[in-house]
Amino acid sequence: MVAESIIVVRDVRVELSGTPILRGVDLTVARGDIVAVVGVNGVGKSTLLRCLAGLQPPRSGEVSVLDRPPADDSDFWRDVLLVGDEPAWYPGLTVREHLELMHAVHRSSRLEVETALEVFGLAGRADMAPLTLSTGQRQRLSLAMALLRPSRLLLLDEPERGLDATFRKRLATMLTEYAAAGGAVVMATHDLDFARITRARRITLEAAA
Amino acid sequence: MNEVRAVRALIRSGGRTPMSWSDRYVALFGLAMAVAVLAQPVASVVAAMAGQADPSRLGAGVALIALAYAGLLALARTLGPVALPAADAAWLLLSPLPRRTVLGRSAVILPAISSLAGVGLGLALLAVLGAPDQFTPRLVTAVLLGVSAAVGGMAAAVLAQASPQWDSWLQGALVVLVIVAALAAVLGSGPGRHLLVAVADAPVSLGAASAALCGTVTALLVRRAWAALGRVHARTVLAASTRAGRVAAATVALELGALTWIAEDGHWRGRTLRSRPWPAPLSGSLSGPMPRLPRPLSAPLALAWQDWRRLGRRPGRLAALLAATALPALAAQAAGGLSPVAMILVAGGALTAAVACTTGARRDEEDPSLARLFGVGARAALTARALLPMLLSAAWLTLALAGLTAMGALPAGPWWLFGPLSAPALAAGALRMARRGFVDHSMPVIDTPGGAIPVGPLVWAMTGVDIAALGCAPALLAPAVGPTALGALVAAQALSGVAVLTAFLLRARRAAADPARLGYVTPIDLG
Repeated sequence: MVAESIIVVRDVRVELSGTPILRGVDLTVARGDIVAVVGVNGVGKSTLLRCLAGLQPPRSGEVSVLDRPPADDSDFWRDVLLVGDEPAWYPGLTVREHLELMHAVHRSSRLEVETALEVFGLAGRADMAPLTLSTGQRQRLSLAMALLRPSRLLLLDEPERGLDATFRKRLATMLTEYAAAGGAVVMATHDLDFARITRARRITLEAAA
Repeated sequence: MNEVRAVRALIRSGGRTPMSWSDRYVALFGLAMAVAVLAQPVASVVAAMAGQADPSRLGAGVALIALAYAGLLALARTLGPVALPAADAAWLLLSPLPRRTVLGRSAVILPAISSLAGVGLGLALLAVLGAPDQFTPRLVTAVLLGVSAAVGGMAAAVLAQASPQWDSWLQGALVVLVIVAALAAVLGSGPGRHLLVAVADAPVSLGAASAALCGTVTALLVRRAWAALGRVHARTVLAASTRAGRVAAATVALELGALTWIAEDGHWRGRTLRSRPWPAPLSGSLSGPMPRLPRPLSAPLALAWQDWRRLGRRPGRLAALLAATALPALAAQAAGGLSPVAMILVAGGALTAAVACTTGARRDEEDPSLARLFGVGARAALTARALLPMLLSAAWLTLALAGLTAMGALPAGPWWLFGPLSAPALAAGALRMARRGFVDHSMPVIDTPGGAIPVGPLVWAMTGVDIAALGCAPALLAPAVGPTALGALVAAQALSGVAVLTAFLLRARRAAADPARLGYVTPIDLG
């Protein structure tokens, strides 16, 4: 039995200001897959994620996510999650309230707020404003918000950034559990160990120009 | 001192070239031109201050001066006041060089700035109190009093930066000033008028004695502040320098929107808050007798609740907004009627009240990643986010109009109705303002006979104000038309407010996908 395809990318070419960034990229991601996109700086890993998120239209080729072209609308974002490289937060809310907010918006969640605080090592910082957190703790908060809510596809741009070695292993476990539950993960990463622990399929991008 | 000079000279040796004779000529010529241009208007304004003051305007005038002085002290406290350029803060502050000599240069600038502000305060005082006789001595006394008060206040702010005890005293002084302003405004038109008239008619010798006393206290404060410079903690100066540097960078780059984020981040940095759950009707996880809203309704409302919670955590801002509802009435009383200044205060205050609670919409516009993470539709989120600005601007405008009616600046009639009816248009304007992004400096500069007009900043400044003005047009016209057509204008306002908000929401879309449009965001990471 063939697993259901979540992402289908065929011969995609992307140019930014006339400079080719991606050329002839093919990718198929099924339910339960974890894909690690690796490559040197500037090779187009983040651009590929933006393509999959519908934020960067390709110049040519086909991109299909959940059986339709990706689109920046609420229906799409209910199934797809993009965690970028810059954590974001609302001013005036605590760490716990950001998780509560996610819980309130989605009603059903994969984790309880208290559990998420514990698992992501934020219990001691629950009443602090995210601005006060360290870089790694902010990244943990972003990941906690993403993994708290239900979704079908996770797009992660260097999720390991700022995280300590112990938590990277814990995150890898969470991602494998997410995939085992039927989700799909595509992540751009420079940490090959992290990719290996998640048992991710590695896609190495080559420079297009 | 020599060590600091040597280090500064070394730091700057690789930077800009020394000032040439032509630079000095340009600076002197510019100064001379400024004096030539400003001398005549300033002289005529000062000459117009001669004469008896209007007793009915004394209270409001004194209140406005007290508020301006409180604003000056609050600004000094917020900005430092002792701050260093970025290079000095990075290299000199954390060095073994004597702290006072490192901070000396910026401490010398402060008296100059505060003296200028003091001259303004003194002239304003003379304009309010009048000069029934001996004009020149009264002018000199008022200016000396203003300069002493401003320089003394600045010295107190420096002391507050060095010592928490002085900081609490300064905060107490700010509260006292606001109370004095309120008393002057309230009592100035009633039982306190005689006291204010007596102050205005006081002999010059009494004023001179007050100025001398104020000057003595100021001298003592300046002496203590100079001594305290050596004890100012590096962390407070670093924080102030970072803040001042960001403010300067945002101002130089004409990115005025960034200034509000600087203030916002400064407020929340390092704060520990008490987390509270989301209200039961908005949260799907809570059980109980409270009714639950369907998810399409509850999700955007839950998202918008962030603005409500943030506002509730800033009671000082709410109190300031509430106090500001009295400003239009004060200005009207000071001017003896509904002046253009009072009208501007009404319109600006109502829009400010709406803008004060649109941070969530601004954050979603400038960094849409969070909105995508929540997965709530842009239009639904914006509709939910419009409720709080509507409520706050309606309350503000209603109170301000009620104040103007009570003071007699507006003829009898239900003027307060314009408050709730203008609120939808004000909310639309505030949300449009929140979503306007950054100044487009690539737009042309148009040369006009009155000078060059940069279109980018102008368009940026007018974005939001435009639809607020359009939607509030009946309310803005009402004072000119008068009470005869009030009913028709109220009906028109009800329609225009709702129409503008509806049109704005129908056109709402999520922020564009390309983050490079957002000025401060670094160019797209190619990965």
